[in-house]
Formats: sequence, structure tokens, C-alpha cells
Amino acid sequence: MKSRSPVLNPPSEGKSARWSPYFTLILVVALLACYPLLVPVLTQVSFLQGVNLNFGITTLILAGLALSWDILGGWTGQNSLGHAALVAVGAYSVTLLAEHGVAPWYGTLIGMGIAGLLAWGWGSMTFRLRGSYFTLSSIAVAEILRLVALNESWLTGGAEGKFMADLPKLFGTFDLFDRKVEFYVALGFVTLVLLFLHWLKSAKLGFYFRAVREDEDGAMALGVNPAKAKSTAFILSAVFTAMGGAIYALYLQALEPDNLMLVAFSIQIALLCIIGGRGTLYGGLVGAILLGVPSEIFRAQLQEANLLVYGILIVLVILYLPKGVMGTLEHWWYRKNHPLEKGGK
Amino acid sequence: MEIFSQGMQALIDGLLTGGVYAMIGAGLSLIFGVMRIINFGHGDFVVLGMYSAFFAATALHMDPYLSILVVAPLAYLLGFAVHRLILSRLLGASEQSTKLASLGIGLVVSNAILLGFGTQPQTVDTTYSTSVWVMQVGTLELRFSVIRVVAMVITAALIFLLNRMLFTSEIGKAIRATGQNRLGAELQGVDTRRIYAVIFGIGTVLAATAGVLLLPLLSATPTMGTIFTNKAFVITILGGLGSMPGAIIGGLILGVVESLGSSIFPLIPFLNNHFGSNYRDAYGLIIFLLVLLLKPEGLFGRTVKRV
Repeated sequence: MKSRSPVLNPPSEGKSARWSPYFTLILVVALLACYPLLVPVLTQVSFLQGVNLNFGITTLILAGLALSWDILGGWTGQNSLGHAALVAVGAYSVTLLAEHGVAPWYGTLIGMGIAGLLAWGWGSMTFRLRGSYFTLSSIAVAEILRLVALNESWLTGGAEGKFMADLPKLFGTFDLFDRKVEFYVALGFVTLVLLFLHWLKSAKLGFYFRAVREDEDGAMALGVNPAKAKSTAFILSAVFTAMGGAIYALYLQALEPDNLMLVAFSIQIALLCIIGGRGTLYGGLVGAILLGVPSEIFRAQLQEANLLVYGILIVLVILYLPKGVMGTLEHWWYRKNHPLEKGGK
Repeated sequence: MEIFSQGMQALIDGLLTGGVYAMIGAGLSLIFGVMRIINFGHGDFVVLGMYSAFFAATALHMDPYLSILVVAPLAYLLGFAVHRLILSRLLGASEQSTKLASLGIGLVVSNAILLGFGTQPQTVDTTYSTSVWVMQVGTLELRFSVIRVVAMVITAALIFLLNRMLFTSEIGKAIRATGQNRLGAELQGVDTRRIYAVIFGIGTVLAATAGVLLLPLLSATPTMGTIFTNKAFVITILGGLGSMPGAIIGGLILGVVESLGSSIFPLIPFLNNHFGSNYRDAYGLIIFLLVLLLKPEGLFGRTVKRV
């Protein structure tokens, strides 16, 4: 990738404009951090029974995974429907290594490394081609890995999976199996991905990604190698996803290929982001909260069929809010402030 | 010698199952060839066909094969309606939107089945489920299972009819014209929106009928749609996206590969019973990845845009 392209240089903004998004981030994270305090109040309302601390943890982890998906899906426009495989890479790494006495943070790092390598190989294989080939391959790779996890029980524990044994304490004091600690670990994960996305928004790399998304030929004419840009985005996305997977494993304390590695889970991650708004900063987070609450409320009625809500919503969103919730809001805000321009962002 | 006789048997089973796979692939390929949409919900329509036949067999005591006469027209109406209500509104939208919308439709279908029938696997027993025709060739004894042969015959008949329709009838001409050049077809007075809906209907019929034919062979679960969608992808990529003969040959290849893979690998001493039928669904996917790597245009497809 050329580093000094006159066209792709991000427009220089004032110092305040560059810092103000971080204030939003701090505000959002601070608000989320208050959630454990709200739980006793929320559970008083009868239909919000399910909205407890566990709900907060899963929502945050799913939000972080959706935001990680966004690095590839939203910024370069390549829809992966196999991210569950990368979640599983992180989860299995941390669990299997913990069995051999490796501390979870090293396990997480190793899982992130493996996921990055996997994404590198996988991406260099499929990003040469345009169109839906990557999406198709993502399902295929994820399915193959699921079958391996199911059948090679000497390594993965097979269909029964593995249980997490004792873990060393975080900073010597915090028990990682404590729900409150887990909530803040999950919040830390979301914050990290959000920070990265903020950086991406003003970094050249983000401009390359978006150029590839909008027009691959145009991007090439500007000196961006689309295959390389997509591959980079995929590696970054995979690394964050594996981190989320490791945290998810710490929360679940058990691995089951039929929960963790189903295509349905990959689709769920992708849909959270699509419904929230692809390529927007907070899309994944908003999607996770917007979808999490109704599916938690309907869980008792729908049981295993809780993806029905997702299916109906995705069709409605594609028909009526193609940019997703946040994308539509952003567009509306832009049009409000720039009434004379046509189109907008 | 055991490997040889098992291999011949696997080849026959594979070819017969492959015929049904070919029908699933042909539906996906037809939809892609004309509409340029990859239908990510295709496998869920297969499962819908399975459960319709299951419902017909258990609640109405209808023979699974006879229920095709009811399921196929209903599937056509469903496909037509889905296109009219949802996909036709996305004609101008990006490829991403239609892809995701079809994914959402598939989710609704599979989860509605889940709500209606629960998660437990369902099977249908017919009087002829286990009957086989045996053929003696020298010392070889080849077994043709009746349900597989019937499935193969029905598939061949349907694909033959479809081909006749595409190449001789007026609407077939309109369909092919729409697939080649939508604007050109419209200038000749073809209502391409209607053609798209018809094509989506036909694709749904092919998927659902394949489901009916598979029901006596497999036990049905509501979430197995992704497996069929995967198989359809493998077939269409193998044969080339949008090519009908490619889909048929791709389907046969997939059937044979799965069948050979799951019966031959455990017989090889070095493998120690690894990679048997547990990996049945993986063999096709591995071939799929190899084709993507080596010959992404498939056996009969058009050229692929590379970066």
C-alpha cells in the first residue's frame, strides 16, 4: 500500500474535532459501567426478569464480537459468516492451555495469534476473488473447523466439550469466575475494540478500507491493493474476535462445539452489527442492546427459535433501514446539519 | 478386494444421492444465473420441503413421494410471494442487501419450523424404506436402494422438464433473455420482475422437492438448512456459478465424494478409522475450498473477477 497518496490523506480537522469522539466514548463506557448498579432495580420489573448481570455480560461480549466483525464487514464490505470459528479459536486456546497450567492472559494472546495466522492464510486464499466467494468460503471454513472440533475429541473434548478448571486471579485479587469481574472484563474488551475503531476512523488504514468497500477499481487506481487491504482488515478482525472468544470462554466456563461453532452463531454476530449499522462506530453495540433485550424477553416463548426475531428484524432492516439504526441516525444528523448538500455520507 | 467392492457400492450410492444434490444445486444456480442473487436461505427451503412431507406423512397419512404433488405447487407460491414481498423491493440495492435478506428469510423459515416441530430429529418410515434391488456382477453384489433410485428418477424427470421449459417455451426464452441481459429483455417487452419471481418460485420448488426426496433417506432437524445451503454452494462453485449442466455434474461429484470419503477412508489401515462418515459433510467443503483456490470459475462457469 502506498503511504503517501495525495487523495487518500485524511482531511485535517481541528484538534477539538479529533478529540471530541473520545469524549463520547468515555461517556458511553461510563454509562455501561453503571449497569451492575441498575440490575437490582431492573429485575423488579416482571417482564425484565432476564435482564440481569449475565444478560449484561453476554450483551457486552456479543457487542464486542459484532464490533470486531465490523472491522471487516463494515469497513471493507466483506461479509464473513464464519466468525464463530474465530470465536472458537480464542475460546479453545484459553481453555485447553489453562488445562496445562497456562495463565488465561497468555492463553488469550496465543489464541489471538492463532486466529490472526488463520485469517492470514484464509484471506490470502479468498480475497483474490471478488463477489460473494469470501462469504461462501467463510461458511465452509467454519463448518470444517466445527466438524474437527466435534470429532477430534482427543484435542477438543468432542461434543461434550471441556470445562474450565481453576484459574489464577486477575491482578492477584479478582476472581475471574466472579460475575462482576467478568462484566468489567467484557466492558474492557468492548472499550478496546471501540478505541481501535475510533483510531481507524481517522487513520489512513481506515481510509484504505473504506475505499475498497466503495469501489475496488477506484481504490486500485489510487494505489490501494484491495486484496491486501481486505486481508489486513480480516486479520485485525480475527484477532479481536479471538480475544472476545477467550473472554466468552471465561464466562461460559465450558466449551461445546454445538453452541459455540454453529453457523447460526456467526450469523448472529453479523446481524447484530448489520442491524445496528455497518461501518458506524457504535453499530455493533447498539445492535447488541436493541436485539438482546427483546430476545431475552421472548426467550421463554421462543426457546431455541430465538433467532426468529433476528430473521424478521434483518428483513425489515434491509427493507426499511438499509444503513442500520446508527447509519440512518448518522445520515439524518448529517442532513440536518448540511441541508443544502445532496446525498450526504 | 474389500476396498474395491465397497468402493463400487459407495460409487452407486453416491451417484444416486448426488442426483438429489444436483437438484438442490440446480435451484441455487438457476436463481444466481438469472437474478445474480446468492440465496443463502436455499437450504432452509430444502428443510421446509422435508418437514412438509413429514407433516403430510404423519398427519395426513400421505406417501412422501405423493406429497410432491402438493408440496411443489405450494413451494412455487411461497417462492413467488417471497420475491414479490421482499426481494423485488431490493432490485436496485447492492448485492450485499439481497444476500442478507435471503439469509434473513432462511432464518425465519428454519426458526418457524423449530417453533412448530421442536428440535428432535424426525424420520418417516415407508414400507419400501429398506428395500433394495440387488445386482450380481461376477462376484460383486451391488445393491440399489429403492428410495435412492426413485429419488434419482424423479430428479432426472424434473430437471428434464425444467430444461424443456427453458429451451422450448416462450417463458423459458424470456427467462434466458433476462439472465443474459435484463435491460435488453425489458426492451423486448419482457416483464423481468415477473420473470424474477417465477425463477425464485422454481428455485424454491427444486429445493423443496429435493427435501421431500431426501426425507426417507435422512432424519430431519430444523437447523440442518445450513448443511444443505453449504452443499448447494459446493455444487454451484464446482460446476460454475450460474451453469445448469455444471450444477448437475457438480451434484453427482459431491454425492460420490461424500460417499467414497465416508466408506473408503476408514478401510485404509494407516488412517486407523479416522475420517469416516463423521466427516461426511466436510469432504464436499474441502473440495469447495480447493476449487476456490485452483479453479474459481468452476468446471463450466464464466470467468471470475479477480483483484
